Amino acid sequence: MTRYILQRIFLMALTFFVITGITYVIIRKAPGDFTSMKAGLQGELTRGALGKQFLEAERRLYGLDKEWYIGYGEWLWKFVRLDLGTSREDGRPVATRIAEALPITLLLNVITLLVTYIISIPMGVYASMKKNTLYDRVSSLVLFILYSLPHFWIALLLLMFFSSSEYLNLFPLDGIMSDWAEEYGFFGKIADVAWHLVLPVVTLTYGSFAFLSRYARANMLEVISQQYITTARAKGLSEKRVIFVHAFRNSLVPLVTLMATLLPALLGGSVIVEKIFSIPGLGRLAYDSIFSRDIPVIMAITSISALLTLAGIFIADLLYGLVDPRIRLEGTL
Amino acid sequence: MKRGGYWRGVWTEFRKNRLALGGLAVIAALIALALSASLVANNRPYIYVAPDGGGVYFPLFYDHPELRGLDLRKDEFRGFKVFPPIPFSYSEYNLDEILVGPSLRHIMGTDEQGRDLAARMVHGTRVSLLVGFIAVAIYISIGIVIGALAGYYGGWVDMLISRLIEMVMCFPTFFLILTILALWGPSMVSVMVVIGITGWPGIARIVRGEFLKLREMDFVTATRALGSRDWRIILRHMLPNAMAPVLVSASFGVASTILIESSLSFLGLGVQPPTPSWGQILSNSSQYIDFAWWMTVIPGFAIFLTITSYNLIGEGFQEAIDPKSRK
Repeated sequence: MTRYILQRIFLMALTFFVITGITYVIIRKAPGDFTSMKAGLQGELTRGALGKQFLEAERRLYGLDKEWYIGYGEWLWKFVRLDLGTSREDGRPVATRIAEALPITLLLNVITLLVTYIISIPMGVYASMKKNTLYDRVSSLVLFILYSLPHFWIALLLLMFFSSSEYLNLFPLDGIMSDWAEEYGFFGKIADVAWHLVLPVVTLTYGSFAFLSRYARANMLEVISQQYITTARAKGLSEKRVIFVHAFRNSLVPLVTLMATLLPALLGGSVIVEKIFSIPGLGRLAYDSIFSRDIPVIMAITSISALLTLAGIFIADLLYGLVDPRIRLEGTL
Repeated sequence: MKRGGYWRGVWTEFRKNRLALGGLAVIAALIALALSASLVANNRPYIYVAPDGGGVYFPLFYDHPELRGLDLRKDEFRGFKVFPPIPFSYSEYNLDEILVGPSLRHIMGTDEQGRDLAARMVHGTRVSLLVGFIAVAIYISIGIVIGALAGYYGGWVDMLISRLIEMVMCFPTFFLILTILALWGPSMVSVMVVIGITGWPGIARIVRGEFLKLREMDFVTATRALGSRDWRIILRHMLPNAMAPVLVSASFGVASTILIESSLSFLGLGVQPPTPSWGQILSNSSQYIDFAWWMTVIPGFAIFLTITSYNLIGEGFQEAIDPKSRK
C-alpha cells in the first residue's frame, strides 16, 4: 500500500510538471511580446529611452529575459515556496486575486453538485425500479436531449426569457450580489446570492442529470442482480425494504467516489457560464487573464486546477479501494 | 462467415433503432447542405435569360464578364431568372435591414449588419461538420497508433504508454485549448489541430484494451506462426476487429467536438469572420438578446440538433455492436 501511494505521488508530481511546463512553454513561445504590449497600452513606449528601461525591468520581473527553462524553473521554485507572484493586470498579488475568485467558483460548483445528486439519484433509482416501462424510456429520452443541449445556448435562452425587459424579469442579469446588498442583513445577503445563482446553477446542472441518473440506474440494476438481494427477497422482506435498505446503500458507493472526479471537471466547465452571467469566479479570472496575457495568473490557475484534478482522481481511487476491498490497488500499477 | 458479415449484422441491428436512423438522416441532410451551401444560398441566379434575345447566362456557375458587379435581383433586370432558395450571400450586408425578424424575404431574419441569417446558417454548417470530422480523425489516428502499440507489445511499452494516457487525461484540456488559441491566434485550422492533439487518450485506452484481448486469440497466434510481420498483424488482422468500439467513441467524439468548437467560436476564439459559424452567430446574438430572439434560437437549435444526432447515432451503434448495452 505504501509503495502504491509513493508511486502514485511520484506520477502525480510528474504530471504536474508536464502540465505546468507545457502551459509555460505555450505562453512563452507565443508570437508577440507581452511586455511591449503592456507597455504600449500604458503609453510607456512613446517616452523613448525611459520606455526601453521600463521594458527591460518588466521583462526581468517576469523572467522573460531568460531562456524558457530557466524561467520555468524560477516559477516552479517560487510556486513550491507558495509564492504565486504579482498579477500583471493590476499589480496585486496573484494569491489575493485567486483568494477572491476561488470561493465564488467553489460555492457555485458545490451547490451545482448537490443539486445534481439530489435530483438525479432518486430519478435513477426510480427508473431502475420501473425498468423497461414507458416511464423509463421517456425519461431516458428526455435526459438524453437535456444532455445534448449546449450550455451557452441555454444560458442565453434563460437570460432572454427570465431576466429581460421583453419577457419575464424574474432574475438578475449578471453578477453574484446586488449593488445594494450591503444594506441587507445576514440572511438577506444569503437570499440575494441565492437569487443571483439560480440561473447559473440551472445551466450547470441540467446536463449532468442524464449522466448521473443513468449511472445511478445502472448501478442499482447491477446491485439488484446480486445474490444477496435475492436472499433478502427470499427471506420475505418487503420490496421497499429490499430496495431502500439493502440495495440502495450499496448502489451509492460508485456515486460517492465519482464526486471526487466531478468537482475538478466542473471547475473547468464554468468558464463559459461565469462569462455569460458575469460571475467574478475562477473561470472568469482565467478567461480574462488569458486575454490580457497575465502570465502569473494563468500559471497559478493552471497549477491549482491541475492539483485539484490530480487530488480528486487520487482520492477517488483510494476511496474505491476503501469501500470495496475486492479492488486491489497494487494490482493496477 | 463471408466477408463483411459482421458489419452487415451491425447494420441490421442499427436499423431497428428509429431514433438512431433519424440521427443518421439529419447528419446526411446536413452534409448535403454543407456541400451545396453555395448553391442553396447565393445572391446570383442559377440561370438568367436576358429579355429581348439578350442571351442566356449561368451567373452562379460561370463568372460572366458582362454581368460582373450587377445585382440581378433588382427589378430593373427583367427577363427570366431562377434564384437559389435563399437569394443572399452570407457576407453581403444591407444596413437598411438590420435585425429584421423572420419574414418571407428573410426566412430566418437578419443580423446586426443586415446579413441574411439563413445564408449564414447554411454556410456555417460547413464549419461545424468539417471541424468535427477532421479533429476527430486526427485524434482517432493518434489514439489508434498509441493504443495499438501499448496493447500489442505489452510489457514496458504498455506501462509507459498507460502512464502517458493517465497523464494526458489529467490535462485541463479546455483551458489549454483556450490558452493556445488566445495566444497563438484563433483560426479553424488551429481549433482542429488543438482538439485533435488533446483528444486521443480515450481512443488509445479503448484500442489498448481491445488489443490486449485480441493478442491472446488463436487467429493472431496463427498469423504470427505463419511469419507475418508485426505491422501486418496489427493493421490487417487486429485493427479491423478493434474498430467497432472506436467508431462508437468517434461518433460521440464528433458531437463533443462540435460543442467545443461552437463554445470556442462563442468566446471569439473559433473561426474568424467573415467565415460564418453557428457559435459565432450565437455569440453576436448575446448583445441583442432582448429583441432579436431569432439570432439566439436558430443557431443554438442547429448546434443542438447536430449534437443530438451524433449522440443518437453513437448510442444506436453502441447497442448494435454490444448486445449487453441494449435496454
